[in-house]
Amino acid sequence: MLSATDISVSFGKRPVLNSVCFTANAGELHAIVGPNGSGKTTLLRAMTGDLTATGQTLINGTDIADLSPAELAQRRAVLPQSGNIAFPFTVLELVRLGLHAGMPSRAGFDPNLPQKALTRVGLAGFEGRFVQDLSGGERQRVQLARVLVQIWEPVLNGAPRWLFLDEPVSALDIGHQLIVMQLARDYAEAGGGVVAVMHDLNLTAMFADRITLLNAGHVRATGRPDEVLTDGDLSACYGCALRTNTPPPFGGKWILPQAIANRTHVGA
Amino acid sequence: MTVLSEPDFTPLAGDRRNKARAIRVGLIGVLIVAMLLALGWGAAGDTDVIGALLAGLGVGEVSARDMTIVWDIRMPRVATGALVGAALAVSGAVLQGLFRNPLADPGLVGVSAGAGFGAVAAIVLGGFLPLAIREFAGPYLIVGAAFIGGWATTLILYQVATRRGRTTVATMLLAGIALAAITGAVTGLIVYWSTDDQLRDLTFWGMGSVAGATWAKLITAGPVIAIALISAPFLSRGLDALALGEAVAAHMGINVQRMKRLSIMSVAASVGAAVAITGGIGFVGIVVPHLLRLVQGPEHRSLLPNCALLGAIVLLLADMVSRTVVAPAELPIGIVTAMIGGPFFLWILLKNRTMLEG
Repeated sequence: MLSATDISVSFGKRPVLNSVCFTANAGELHAIVGPNGSGKTTLLRAMTGDLTATGQTLINGTDIADLSPAELAQRRAVLPQSGNIAFPFTVLELVRLGLHAGMPSRAGFDPNLPQKALTRVGLAGFEGRFVQDLSGGERQRVQLARVLVQIWEPVLNGAPRWLFLDEPVSALDIGHQLIVMQLARDYAEAGGGVVAVMHDLNLTAMFADRITLLNAGHVRATGRPDEVLTDGDLSACYGCALRTNTPPPFGGKWILPQAIANRTHVGA
Repeated sequence: MTVLSEPDFTPLAGDRRNKARAIRVGLIGVLIVAMLLALGWGAAGDTDVIGALLAGLGVGEVSARDMTIVWDIRMPRVATGALVGAALAVSGAVLQGLFRNPLADPGLVGVSAGAGFGAVAAIVLGGFLPLAIREFAGPYLIVGAAFIGGWATTLILYQVATRRGRTTVATMLLAGIALAAITGAVTGLIVYWSTDDQLRDLTFWGMGSVAGATWAKLITAGPVIAIALISAPFLSRGLDALALGEAVAAHMGINVQRMKRLSIMSVAASVGAAVAITGGIGFVGIVVPHLLRLVQGPEHRSLLPNCALLGAIVLLLADMVSRTVVAPAELPIGIVTAMIGGPFFLWILLKNRTMLEG
């Protein structure tokens, strides 16, 4: 289990998160949604140990403050929003960096893991390409492959491992969005835990087991998608009229991917 | 006729480690040849270099003259050149990894400026020291002052850039420029006070030279450089991860703060020691890592050892050029590395603009 209690973060004098509590279960995909500036990424970064926050974050019962960077790296991996890469790595070289993350030695790894991960994110055959020559969406998937390689087994020695994704599909086309979200679901269904900051509410509704809706540094609602994605809460948080499960007025077109996840409780 | 082709599967696509290994083997061979050439290269002709080398190892015998030329005059120079070249190239690669910028150079962290300040102060102000200290320090006075100057500047820089246990690389870069300006100004003041003879020493020291290499100097600076070179590969995993950003490196289990501290200290020590015995030698620290990164990729585990080898080779060759072009006089080696390195670096940049834009 991942549990964060009383997380408060201020940037200068401006409070960004105010006593936020957050709990995610292994075996579930837990999405964090909310408008721009609501504190989604800050909450994620507080829980990954990126920034110093008041409060406490426990990963499988251990305070992250008590874990060394290496120990932490064996328990969780983080996909950042984006980031530039300083030197011209090939795709294989970059993904391989995740192979030994947090491990004391370089020995004893499946050398084919980078290629398996690249296949999972739909980039088989890209091994020899230079990362800086790829499109934004391809780069994002290369990074996802690196992150997957770091914690390939969703459960290690009986303990779940945690995948933190910060807007994992923001640079992707709709087809690849579905592939990546399905991959995150598969990781959760295999026993790992997934926490994802999401912007796309439809994808969130389709793939998340649980959702936490943040607004102005507070938790507005948390629970199953049908509990959180309500017209009232969404409209209040996002500052515009939002209606769930209703076709747009005036007969305009709308496009909703047909879920590849076999979900039964959505909208239940 | 159509031939059914093999499945288009290359298991090592994108893997440049084998290439790096092959390059390393080649560089070792070239380094050995370069060292032998450098040992045989000199004003004293018809010297039995191979014979003297073997004699030094206890095989056969040659004249005392040849032994002196090879073992006491040329060997310290060759060893110094190789060691300093390796130190500059590896330090350049480490700093570029640390600053996440292929154009970083040992000059940036203030170590060169600080070492220059120490050396200038020793040359000009050394005369004011009590005689006992001067006699005790002897030839080590300049070396020691340069080393302390370089190390102290880097320490100050590190303190300035570290707040609440976190070192900001950008602050360090900017503070390095400020500190270099300050030490440069003070150095200028001291130079202004210097006599004509001292001025000549200063100028040559500033341009860099391995001509003054002796076993005594090498024994003071060599171990520091050797330790830094041997420990550099332990930084490689951290430097690789840092290429993706500090946050990502931390996610991947790297103790980023400790790694920054180790990198800076190792660079300060080895460049400080190198500058102390040879003066300022530019461009090796930029050109060598850059060139190798282009052919074998940025993985530091194979990059750092190859940088050491190629850095040594480049400095040995530059020294041979510096001894030849205006023979029997010698050109300061810093001029040679800048003359060859500058245009070469420009050429690399022009040729790989698209690569760097990415």
